[in-house]
Amino acid sequence: MMSDFQKSSNKLWKSLKDYNEDPEVLKAKTNEFLEGVTDDFDSSKLSGLSRRKFLALLSASAALTATACTNYRDKGEIIPYNKKPEDVMPGIANYYASTCNGCSQSCGILVKTREGRPIKIDGNPDHPTSKGKICAKGQASILNLYDPERLTDPLVLRKKTDWKSVDSDIISALNNSQSSGKEIAIVTGEITSPTTKKVLDDFIAKYPNTKIYSYSLINDQQRRDAWMDSYGSDEYPAIKWNDSDVILALDADFLGNEGSYIENMRKHALRRETNGKIDFNRLYVAEGRMSVTGMLADYRFRISPDTQYEFVMALINELSSHGSSIVLDSNAKSKFGKYSLAKFESLIGKDNLNHLINDLNKNRGKSIVYAGDTFPKEVHVAVNLLNEVLGNTSLYDYTNSFKSLVKHSSAEEISQLVDSMNKGKVGTVIHFDSNPVFTLPDDFGYASALKKVTLVVSLSETENESSAAGNYSLPINNQLESWGDAYVRGGVYSLQQPVIAPIFDSRQKEAILLTWIAGNSSAFNEDIYHNCLMNSFNTDVYSKANTFADAKSFWNSALNDGVVNITEKVLSVKFNIAAFNNLNDLTSSKDFTIHLHNNYFIGDGKFANNGWLQEIPHPVSRVTWDNYAAVSPSTAKNLNVDNSDLLHIKVGNRNLTLPAFVQPGLADKLISIELGYGRTVIGEVGKEVGFNAVTLMSKNVQPSPFIFSDASVSKAGGKHELVSTQEQHALDDTFVKDFHRIRRIIQEGTVLKYIKEPNFLHEEKEKLFSITNEVKYTGNKWAMAIDLNKCTNCQVCVASCNVENNIAVVGKEQVSKGRVMQWIRLDRYYSGTPDEPIASNQPMLCQHCDNAPCENVCPVNATNHSPDGLNQMVYNRCVGTRYCSNNCPYKVRRFNFFNYRDDFADSYYENDLTALVNNPEVTVRSRGVMEKCSFCIQRIMEARSDAIRDNRPLKGSDVVTACQQACPTEAITFGDANDPTSPVAKLRDHNLSYHVLEELNVKPNVTYIAKLRNTHSEEIL
Amino acid sequence: MISGKILYSYTGIFDTPDQIIHATEKAVESGYTKYDVNTPYPLHGMDKAMKLKPSKLGYVALVFGLSGTLATLLTIWWMSAIDYPIVIGGKPLFSFPAYVPIVFEVTVLSAAIMTVVSMLFFFFKLPNNSHPLHGTEYMKKVSADKYGISIQADDPKFNESSVKKFLESVHATEIIPIYWDEEEVNHKNKILEPKFIMFLIVVAIITSGVTYFSFNKLMYMVPFNWMMDQPKLSAQQQSPIFADGFGMRQPVAGTIARGSMVYQFKGQPDLAGVKLVNPIPISKESLALGQVKFDIYCSPCHGYNADGVSRLRGQFPNPPSLHSDKVRNWSDGRIFAVITEGQNTMPSYSSQLSFDERWAVINYLRALQRALNAKESDVQ
Amino acid sequence: MSTVDYTQELSVIEGKPPLRELDDLISKPIDAKPTKKFFIALTISGSMLSLLLIGLGLTFYYGIGMWGNNIPVGWAFDITNFVFWVGIGHAGTLISAILFLLRQKWRTGIARFAEGMTIFAVMTAGLFPLIHVGRPWLAAYLFPYPNQHSIWVNFDSPLLWDVFAVSTYFIVSLIFWYVGLIPDFATLRERTNNKIKKITYSIFGLGWRFSNKHWQHYEMVYLILAGFATPLVLSVHTIVSFDFAVSIMPGWHATIFPPYFVAGAVFSGFAMVQNVLIIVRKIFNYEHIITLDTLEKMNKIMLLTGSMVGYAYAMEFFIAWYSGLPIERFTFINRAFGSYAWAYWVMISCNVISPQLFWSKKIRRTIPVMFVIAIFVNIGMWFERFVIIVSSLSRDFLPSSWHLYTPTYVDLMILIGSFGFFFTWLLLFTKALPVVSMAEVKATVTGSQPSHKDH
Repeated sequence: MMSDFQKSSNKLWKSLKDYNEDPEVLKAKTNEFLEGVTDDFDSSKLSGLSRRKFLALLSASAALTATACTNYRDKGEIIPYNKKPEDVMPGIANYYASTCNGCSQSCGILVKTREGRPIKIDGNPDHPTSKGKICAKGQASILNLYDPERLTDPLVLRKKTDWKSVDSDIISALNNSQSSGKEIAIVTGEITSPTTKKVLDDFIAKYPNTKIYSYSLINDQQRRDAWMDSYGSDEYPAIKWNDSDVILALDADFLGNEGSYIENMRKHALRRETNGKIDFNRLYVAEGRMSVTGMLADYRFRISPDTQYEFVMALINELSSHGSSIVLDSNAKSKFGKYSLAKFESLIGKDNLNHLINDLNKNRGKSIVYAGDTFPKEVHVAVNLLNEVLGNTSLYDYTNSFKSLVKHSSAEEISQLVDSMNKGKVGTVIHFDSNPVFTLPDDFGYASALKKVTLVVSLSETENESSAAGNYSLPINNQLESWGDAYVRGGVYSLQQPVIAPIFDSRQKEAILLTWIAGNSSAFNEDIYHNCLMNSFNTDVYSKANTFADAKSFWNSALNDGVVNITEKVLSVKFNIAAFNNLNDLTSSKDFTIHLHNNYFIGDGKFANNGWLQEIPHPVSRVTWDNYAAVSPSTAKNLNVDNSDLLHIKVGNRNLTLPAFVQPGLADKLISIELGYGRTVIGEVGKEVGFNAVTLMSKNVQPSPFIFSDASVSKAGGKHELVSTQEQHALDDTFVKDFHRIRRIIQEGTVLKYIKEPNFLHEEKEKLFSITNEVKYTGNKWAMAIDLNKCTNCQVCVASCNVENNIAVVGKEQVSKGRVMQWIRLDRYYSGTPDEPIASNQPMLCQHCDNAPCENVCPVNATNHSPDGLNQMVYNRCVGTRYCSNNCPYKVRRFNFFNYRDDFADSYYENDLTALVNNPEVTVRSRGVMEKCSFCIQRIMEARSDAIRDNRPLKGSDVVTACQQACPTEAITFGDANDPTSPVAKLRDHNLSYHVLEELNVKPNVTYIAKLRNTHSEEIL
Repeated sequence: MISGKILYSYTGIFDTPDQIIHATEKAVESGYTKYDVNTPYPLHGMDKAMKLKPSKLGYVALVFGLSGTLATLLTIWWMSAIDYPIVIGGKPLFSFPAYVPIVFEVTVLSAAIMTVVSMLFFFFKLPNNSHPLHGTEYMKKVSADKYGISIQADDPKFNESSVKKFLESVHATEIIPIYWDEEEVNHKNKILEPKFIMFLIVVAIITSGVTYFSFNKLMYMVPFNWMMDQPKLSAQQQSPIFADGFGMRQPVAGTIARGSMVYQFKGQPDLAGVKLVNPIPISKESLALGQVKFDIYCSPCHGYNADGVSRLRGQFPNPPSLHSDKVRNWSDGRIFAVITEGQNTMPSYSSQLSFDERWAVINYLRALQRALNAKESDVQ
Repeated sequence: MSTVDYTQELSVIEGKPPLRELDDLISKPIDAKPTKKFFIALTISGSMLSLLLIGLGLTFYYGIGMWGNNIPVGWAFDITNFVFWVGIGHAGTLISAILFLLRQKWRTGIARFAEGMTIFAVMTAGLFPLIHVGRPWLAAYLFPYPNQHSIWVNFDSPLLWDVFAVSTYFIVSLIFWYVGLIPDFATLRERTNNKIKKITYSIFGLGWRFSNKHWQHYEMVYLILAGFATPLVLSVHTIVSFDFAVSIMPGWHATIFPPYFVAGAVFSGFAMVQNVLIIVRKIFNYEHIITLDTLEKMNKIMLLTGSMVGYAYAMEFFIAWYSGLPIERFTFINRAFGSYAWAYWVMISCNVISPQLFWSKKIRRTIPVMFVIAIFVNIGMWFERFVIIVSSLSRDFLPSSWHLYTPTYVDLMILIGSFGFFFTWLLLFTKALPVVSMAEVKATVTGSQPSHKDH
């Protein structure tokens, strides 16, 4: 049997042969498990063939897979300069001083360019009034340069054409108008440029039938009229806020959006300095609406705008009884003698009123009463008298007074124009970078009259309501493509220079007029206005300047500086008491009062297509992408409305339906609405944003075009969702009341308390300890300090950060879902009662905690700590688990829930033009990536490379973050915490310094300086 | 035996667990060593009956578990404290407590996998679908409800008749001989079968096609986003916005960048010579900078010593020596004008040298001139 | 077997059925052609699955923005579903491993099925960490492999622990399940005459031949695996609970979380197993394998774990009060009375109140009632996670950052779809594999073991 087996074995496969011959293998084959078989595992003994096949398969696949990977993606060509400009070094920024055109304040700006393209606008530090700071509009206005919906070519009846034919057509039409005796109307906004005014004058010289109409929706005409009456000149002074010990602001948002508010904020903040001796001013605000200034007030009184006249008169009556710096005649005395403060005692409380009277009385000559721009002339004249009575005129600063180059057209003048248009007496209307169809009240009938005019030419950057109503739309240069000058403040002449050649086929607006003045379409050349400007500069500025430099050098240095200080005679004035005596007495409203006022971020609608600005939350209500009718909580209860419910407002025969917003602190029976919203002919961004409150305005301006009495208001039914970046909690909701105080998020005190106990904030402080050894940071350690005494909630830091860090616009719907992308948010908390709320503000950004909770939880190390103490985000590493955000106690991380550039308004911002606005040094984040404040790491790196190049140690002061640079009040300090001499290190040791949520021991590197309220009490109210 | 077939074993089938235990005990008593008992489920007491040693798999689990623990700890330590140390949330680089969960998981994982793998592939030598017992009636029965014993032909005591007798003696209900499967035994695998080669090629083409598509196309389509194509314009990129395609723009004529200098004597070198004054005093730093810049920009034509010894080997008209009286008597401003605007075949160096650098070069040149034409006073 | 008296107590395997009959019964669903009922069930679960696919497709293409998540509520349905499904998985391991170690014979009838549910539940759960990330195509970054960033993963992160825990759990469960299946594959291999089936079973059966030399090691390995799976199952939900407990969020940062989560996981897992088994035993006539006794025992476990969970809820409140931390206190008051109070009370009534009915033996043994209670428990346990995640995140430290969460249609599609995913797998499992372990059941039948009497 065995032999048979052996015989047959020759035919068998190899292993079976082994099977016969090798007892070891034999054993293995049959017994299956050997002792210690794992030790002598030998691959050759395993079934070989199929594995070889498998390996062949694997290697063949791998080889071919490798060959498939060889195609590297083309990332575009490298294109160097073929003629390198002298000053431009690729990768290094250049700065150009210029002037902002955003509003009539004409602040000095410093434009940052990279390789000849503007990427950021900041203030020009050499400018005497704005001193290196600009507002949020100015910061974000760079987006308008790269707006994909700018006019690219001249249009005739919405069809593209060329400049030559446009020019010759219009020149002949102008000549026709001139010869047929018809009027040529140039409608412009406020003129801030002397050279532009010259060009307009030249235009009138060439076409004598021309009339200039200057009208702007947001204006200070009431104030100018009052000064004209009181002092005989419509030039009014700047206020020395820094010298004012007591300020009474009457519905004047001088720290929010009125006048030269950036300058006001800076001066006001000088009196909110906690370093050294405490020398705070005391800010009283009497207002109906809730403004930024109201939020900052030490005392805030709810006084409806219609009763302000009585309030001022009563104050004059009361205070003049304690003496007066001006001689008051009997007429005047009888005029204000009628008014008494008794009515207001119940409204604002006896104690508060006494504080106000005493403070004004004690600080004569060191106090200021200031009324808002929207108030009628009568109130301003009365306020002027009150300041005269108190001897406060020493705080008037006429050296930097507010000049007016072209008088604001009165309602009568505009009515006449409309009348002439209707009668066919107007041949040509030129909209000179203005939008009267939108900004003029409907009852002028301007839009319908425009149809009767054969030639309507609109010079504008984008199509607007006025250009759509006309036949010619001519593209003009953006302010960053323009030459220009401005003279709005006494002693300050500023220059504007282009920082990029026109991107489209647009022209300087003055150059267009110059071409028409020349009467020849070929007269245009690129430098036509540049030369005109230089000539005008030489005659007006250089000739008067007391300088040894030659004209050319002087011009160059003026361009370099962006501004020339000129010496001129300072106006000296005397109060005309008759102006007061002749005032019409104003009475208060019986029914609802409507108060229209300026918005914070979109100007007169000019910036409505700017997504960054639309998305910046309202400083008070936190609402974005809308305006609304603000009503007080009790009025809302009476009207039975809640947030977002539609309200119907009727003034005379003018109607408006818009959503209500319950605003704590608003005066009862007052509706406060912001102007500038509700643009209809506009780009994708501004479309259907807000409601046009101009429809409530009228050509009958008495007493003020912005305040209407006796309006009727009712619930309209329906809703329009208002979205905000912060939840609106009812102030009397005990569930969530005063959390910012209970949780010590915002710590406050009063000046009296601080003087008595400087260390009151830290008395109960417990020492926190860690269970692990602390990481030691040698070298630089970056830190920030934010002084809540100085922060005004102006949102300029937000705007600046948006531009610097390529932050996406997400749109209203995404904001409503809680997905706003701004890296800094300005938190607003209320305490107190719904009627008399106390607002507290706090900028909240990444705290760059030493023991950052976000870092611990990131599975991929996409957020971690740098050796210089930064909590950094590695965007490319981030997979987007969002755990870091969940674990962030400050919730300052932002997540790209979508590819927002693609998601927002049909990829509105995803185009090659808008891409140019992005900072080349900052990654543009894609969908699914977490982002947050980086302490402007690109700026730190730039400063570091400079330091390495210059072979010196990097100092904290070498780095200025975008928010810090932009902050008008210098509330933000940044620097090296490890350098004991640095300002930030000193602030960290300040008596008032604290960290938010300190007890979590996350060791934040953003230090807050607690706010002190300058009240008469040691307790916060 | 049946001719041509190779006997593997003799098997006996039993109906009850008690019978099989009994049969096994008897088989062991009879001295059979190469036998196996097959039951549909593990029978209690069978280990004892078969006199099996306890399983050693517990040790396998222990060894692999512990090595998993150790390897994980070492790996984590190396990764987070040695290879790429990063501060995370202010914690120490090696934060042991945080690693416990992962170390535990890997311990369990490696122990579990390795125990099962060792059991199946090393202890059992599975997979083995070509075992002679497979596909037999015997296997069908023992896999369901019967119990069987199989005594192998290679047992030293194996003898067909005695085994049969033995099985009968323990009351096996059925006795079945099992043979090697002939087909299986004769089967040969060929690696170069045309069919397999074809299969290989098809797989390769599909793999490379799919890989190419996914790595070069698919991964760059929406929604995949790697943040490689950034909607921003870095230096030296092109932009379709501008007609010339240049992303880098020229500043507008007549504008002045902050701090930039304007040369105001264009075309008037003599005037420049009169009006321009060197604002940079001669210093060590200035001379050092001047030397660097001179050596880079000037020396190729004028020579390291400014003596006109050109390194251009006559490709251009020979540049003049800068030690001529003319140049030595020129004012600094006059030389500045030449550097700025060029002269004859010399181009402008205004893009290459900043104002300060030009003055530094001039300072250095003055030093060279003085070195070559030293006056007596210099010696002192 | 048409009518069964449910009040009568049955043994684990009733009577002494011939072993071959057991095989026939267990493999009947595999051998027989699918019935109409099966196809209807598959259609329903398939359409739910397609909702998942559409929801995932939209999310993958457009981004997480398709969901209602926001800042501060970075996690919502995604992680709720994840924790819920991981929890469901736990019952399976518990039944098969812990009860195995405790020598609970009644587990044999349900162990395989429960293990299968573990696998599918963990698969469903595993979907969520993958799809909830912003850039799912970079999910490989979660593993420590040498990469172009030169950076390694963060071993301090609970999410990374999760990656290891869930993948270990899945692999070990799969191995455990598969090891148990090997003898059954071999049995099936020997039973079938269909060629394709034979090849398939041969491959998966690995050539198992019921050798007692193998059985010895096999039993050892099974014991070892059960020994590993037991701490593993406890560790997995502990680690899942670390996702919350390790953070500093009020309402998350609690030391009670690990035991509380494990109890909750077992609770919901048993409820889900209960639900599915009641259907399965009815459809496949397994009343004598999955006996009423078994169901009653599961009800007892649900009563126990439900009470543990209830205790944990109470303890959370007590500790929040006792800690004296205002933020912590507010979080719990907000849970019970805030914007998501409805979810909280759904959770309390489903999880704490409804299982208390199991104190009554009659209810414990009444199938329709226990079925409804088990469904309630599942709903309640889903809401437990929702409440923990969403209510804590939406109201955290700084009131300025608060924002509520509202699910979108995609969220709901994915939630419903996850059930479709789970049940589709489960249905396919019942048709493809023996849902009861044949080898194990046979081993427990009366008389299947040697009597060790004298022969």
